Amino acid sequence: MDILNPYNLQVFTFILLNSILAISIYITLSTGQLSLGHAGFMSIGAFTASILSKQADVPLFIAIIIGGLAAGIVALLIGAPTLKLHGLYLAIATLGFGEVIRVILLNMKITNGALGLTGLQSIGNYLYDFEKAIGLKAQSLGISVIQMKSLTTFVFMVLLFAVVLFLTLRLNRSRLGRAFEAIKADETAARAMGLQVAYYKMLAFIIGSVLAGICGGLYAHITTTITPDDFNYHKVVEILSYAVIGGSEVVWGPLFGALVLTALPEVLRGLAEYKMLMYGLIMVGVMAFRPHGLIGADTFQKLFLRRKGKAGNEAKEGM
Amino acid sequence: MKGFSLLKSLATISLGAVLMVGCSSGNSAAPAANGGSTPAQTPAAEGAGGEVTAQIGVVGFLSGSGAAYGEAQKAGLELALGELNEANKGKLKMELKFEDSGGEKEGAINAVNKLINQDNVVAIIGPTLSGEMFAAGPVANEAEVPIFGISNTSEGINDIGEYVFRNSLPESIAIPTAMKAAVEKKGIKKVALIYASNDDFSVNGYKVMKATAEKMGLEITGEATFSNGDVDFSAQLTKLKQTNPDALLVSALYKEGSMVVKKARELGITATILGGNGFNNPKVFEIAGPAADGLIVATPFSPEKQDDKVQAFVKAFEAKYNKKPDQFAAQAYDSLYIMSQSLLGAGKAEREELRNQLAQLKDFTGVSGKLSFDEKRNPIGDAVVVVAKDGKFVPFE
Repeated sequence: MDILNPYNLQVFTFILLNSILAISIYITLSTGQLSLGHAGFMSIGAFTASILSKQADVPLFIAIIIGGLAAGIVALLIGAPTLKLHGLYLAIATLGFGEVIRVILLNMKITNGALGLTGLQSIGNYLYDFEKAIGLKAQSLGISVIQMKSLTTFVFMVLLFAVVLFLTLRLNRSRLGRAFEAIKADETAARAMGLQVAYYKMLAFIIGSVLAGICGGLYAHITTTITPDDFNYHKVVEILSYAVIGGSEVVWGPLFGALVLTALPEVLRGLAEYKMLMYGLIMVGVMAFRPHGLIGADTFQKLFLRRKGKAGNEAKEGM
Repeated sequence: MKGFSLLKSLATISLGAVLMVGCSSGNSAAPAANGGSTPAQTPAAEGAGGEVTAQIGVVGFLSGSGAAYGEAQKAGLELALGELNEANKGKLKMELKFEDSGGEKEGAINAVNKLINQDNVVAIIGPTLSGEMFAAGPVANEAEVPIFGISNTSEGINDIGEYVFRNSLPESIAIPTAMKAAVEKKGIKKVALIYASNDDFSVNGYKVMKATAEKMGLEITGEATFSNGDVDFSAQLTKLKQTNPDALLVSALYKEGSMVVKKARELGITATILGGNGFNNPKVFEIAGPAADGLIVATPFSPEKQDDKVQAFVKAFEAKYNKKPDQFAAQAYDSLYIMSQSLLGAGKAEREELRNQLAQLKDFTGVSGKLSFDEKRNPIGDAVVVVAKDGKFVPFE
């Protein structure tokens, strides 16, 4: 496969972006909370970052980070009353939140209403300016400028993804991660053991939201145009399906889900009008044979025949 | 039991592996030589005997909620392709490569990237929606590939860059034409506006209507909004009725727009109703019924237009697809004629040369009227003003 082809790089960039989104839903799910507000947080991040970078000339990456933090602050405000809810009730409440955000964005002047924001800086262009400044030019590497820009975006996303993944894996093995797992397994038991359930749930919710906000900022500066309708109910289902298809027991599940679901439409492009048919069939097939998602806690252990005591049995009780 | 589930997880992994392999093999099957593709490279080889072969990519909304638009465009393009390849035999052979965007920005970006970098097309027609164009246009512009919008009516499309063209008249031309005609003929002085505030297309149309009304010195008696998906508009329309306007300007997609028209007549609003481009759909008559009578719309194309070219197109289209063409098919049809004219002018299938030829386009006469580009590549053309009468749109006189 020609890795330097901008088309392939673009697809991989979207895969990585969706992988970070998958991690964000995974972290929220890891305390057993089903949040459907991710698209809402994404849109807060996207619009905050875009307005800052476009109208206030804030450096791109600072704008994206502020976008993530803005989503986190909103999550804090929203989380306080809603995280007392469980399961479907929380899902409905967060779904409502997402819609409220969308309607607010549609009616604000600064977001340009339904027309949204266009002509945003692209990450590739932004980074290429830096590279030029330090003397790294496309010509000297023997590739075209377009390839250089796509490659830079891709490498940047790989690095960002690696950092996020590393932190997530660290989180899983830390005190926090154990607490999340305990809460997910049985909230009452966790409380009985002295865990501050409300605190941990809130923390997971905020981490997930900040990540979603950052993804929103990245999305805005990869596609260079956003409208409030990009973050509607469809987006929620898309994000959630990474975890549903991939599995939500271990972080690899949603990641695999994001990989498959992002790559599939491109892989199936050759089928033209039968594309969606195949897509649907594969979804149904996955749900029929692996109702807990493609990758569970037991998948790797079984695959490598590495059975460590009872570890597998515990994890089976998950989602 | 354990063995069985082990088998299942193995099967799952192999399914995943198959997908991955599919991914890599699918991509490696493409010409490997495009790794170092530069914009200056000739994207298509010249055939024997001086015949130029040009591959043109099409990005359309072919699956999902707006597939009807994409399908109409595909039909128009395929009809034109057959005619052109027949007419230009020995000189130019065009090939179309269709890619689906699904109406999504990511889809459009990926499709444009694939067409440019993998299929090495000389130009791209589409994508269908303005929002998609705003996302995919910069990609093509950066790669210096001409991209030709056939249904993007939003403001600012041409500002994306030098390589972005369109033959779809922006709302800022179509709506004022209709408003001027209506004001002259009906003596309108006071107008009220209603539009879908959550839809980029409708908001854009509303902005044009408002600006035009202000420019023409019309009094705006009231404004009301609704959302796409709404079915009840009585509150908004009752409010507007009290302001007693001479004309009601509606900016909406055909579904909500038709319902607004129907409700307005039910509520006894007798004002002239004028709609945006969204009303250019036969479904308007299905939804609004006889209430649609008198609805004034500006359209780049009307199958009823008494013009030889238009009638020949309508006849050919009906013979091939057994239905009447709409404006999407007409503009797609025209776009390929423009492409072929420019490619013949360029004499070779080369991106830069084609762009220059496109930019010089002047007085092209197609089924959707005359077309030229100004120095900013904005289309200059005239819209036909039509009025609904007995279940179809007829020229407004």
